[in-house]
Amino acid sequence: MKTYWDIAGDGGSNVAAQVEAQTARLRGRMAHVRRKVAVVSGKGGVGKSTVTANLAVALAMQGLRIGVLDADVNGPSMAKLLGVRGRSLHMGPNGILPPEGPMGIKVVSMDLLLPSDETPVAWHGPAQQESFIWRGMMEVNTLREFLADTAWGELDLLLADLPPGTDRISHLTGLLPDLTGCLVVTVPSEVSHLIVKKAVSAVRDARWAPTLGLVENMGRFTCKHCGAPEAMFPGGDTRAMAAAMGLPFLGSIDFDPRLAAASDRGVPFLLSHPDTPAGEALTRIARTIQAWMEAE
Amino acid sequence: MKFVCVLCDTPMKLEETVGPVEGSLTVTFACPSCAHRIALLTNPWETQLVRALDVKIGGRNTPPESWEFVKAMLAARREGALEGAGDVAAPEEGSAASTEPSSRDFGETSASSVEPLSRDAQAEGLGAGPRCPFSAVANRAAEAASLTWDPAAEQRLERVPDFIRPMARQGIERFAAERGFTRITEEVIDEVRGTLGF
Repeated sequence: MKTYWDIAGDGGSNVAAQVEAQTARLRGRMAHVRRKVAVVSGKGGVGKSTVTANLAVALAMQGLRIGVLDADVNGPSMAKLLGVRGRSLHMGPNGILPPEGPMGIKVVSMDLLLPSDETPVAWHGPAQQESFIWRGMMEVNTLREFLADTAWGELDLLLADLPPGTDRISHLTGLLPDLTGCLVVTVPSEVSHLIVKKAVSAVRDARWAPTLGLVENMGRFTCKHCGAPEAMFPGGDTRAMAAAMGLPFLGSIDFDPRLAAASDRGVPFLLSHPDTPAGEALTRIARTIQAWMEAE
Repeated sequence: MKFVCVLCDTPMKLEETVGPVEGSLTVTFACPSCAHRIALLTNPWETQLVRALDVKIGGRNTPPESWEFVKAMLAARREGALEGAGDVAAPEEGSAASTEPSSRDFGETSASSVEPLSRDAQAEGLGAGPRCPFSAVANRAAEAASLTWDPAAEQRLERVPDFIRPMARQGIERFAAERGFTRITEEVIDEVRGTLGF
């Protein structure tokens, strides 16, 4: 009996041609972005988005043209972290003009579209109860439009802040097949390491892009009484984990309450506290990434 | 989606399209060799899967607008979040611009041209152009997607029992679309209330 592939055409739906056109549009836009780096963690709550925002600032301070895509469609935070929350997006002749944060960083986030703090991302559909069936496709197409229809202009680097969870990595693999690399963020806890290892494996198994290295967040904190540095988490040795997985260890960022306060104000910590241990660590990591980009 | 007659091993041809009725379309196919007929019945969830692909079944005749999908499918959007007139998405000027195919390169046609199907058109067979039987349902879904729900109206809908809420939503959206409303407010729900009985 004939199979699907024995019958010519697509039944007149024109679906294949439209998907091809979408891909070409995305490719055309991304051709103006020199490097694309995804920031992943696998585990939630490790400060990945905060690290992304501050690395974007650190790299912009080095003179690079930076864009940030908030790929966390359901839990968007980049607009807040980079101080563009509530700003309007303007529709220009060449696509959506994204708001610019500090140092001219261009930001696109679902948060820019949501009507209130309390509003979750919901899609039109026959019934929300079954939305899990098609929700993934909605998210992928949202990210595709964010990437393809935004007037990013010429960028040296686009940072994509992914949501927690290894399953979401596949959302971007099809959209950005030429991804330059992945940056993995973790905290030095065994629980976080357990999940982050899976994220590293997922990236590796997808053969998507090389993992540039591991960033340890909230590695230590400074005692406000005696000034001595202390470990935030017992047990987890991120440097050893990186070595065991054959990955570069890019650095450890100290916990600093001022970092959280700056995030809440929408002012990147690095701008106001560049000389703190955390600020210096972020700058060092950014320089490593920049050096790697230049060597590429 | 394609159909083949098991008895004759022949690709079946579209014979008749009826609907959509309550979001469902009845599509009849016939085997050109033995005249065996089958009917395919769609449901709104199958339609939604097509919509989630962000394609216009049967093709499109205008270039896509920027963030067209997000604008149409996001259930609630901040007022003033997007400013400016509708536009055409295109890559920035530069070497890559020439690599982007125009929508015309794909032979797209108006979605409205896909329905209804004439007998002559059916006789041309499945691969004879953008006459997909699913167009009607998918395009109705697209129309519904362009409706915006006020938060207060959404809250009213939440009071409807779970098991009939999807039907109520469909009814309200159909009512609004038929009257050319683009926004569903509490007043619209009041208007439709008598009909649906909630």
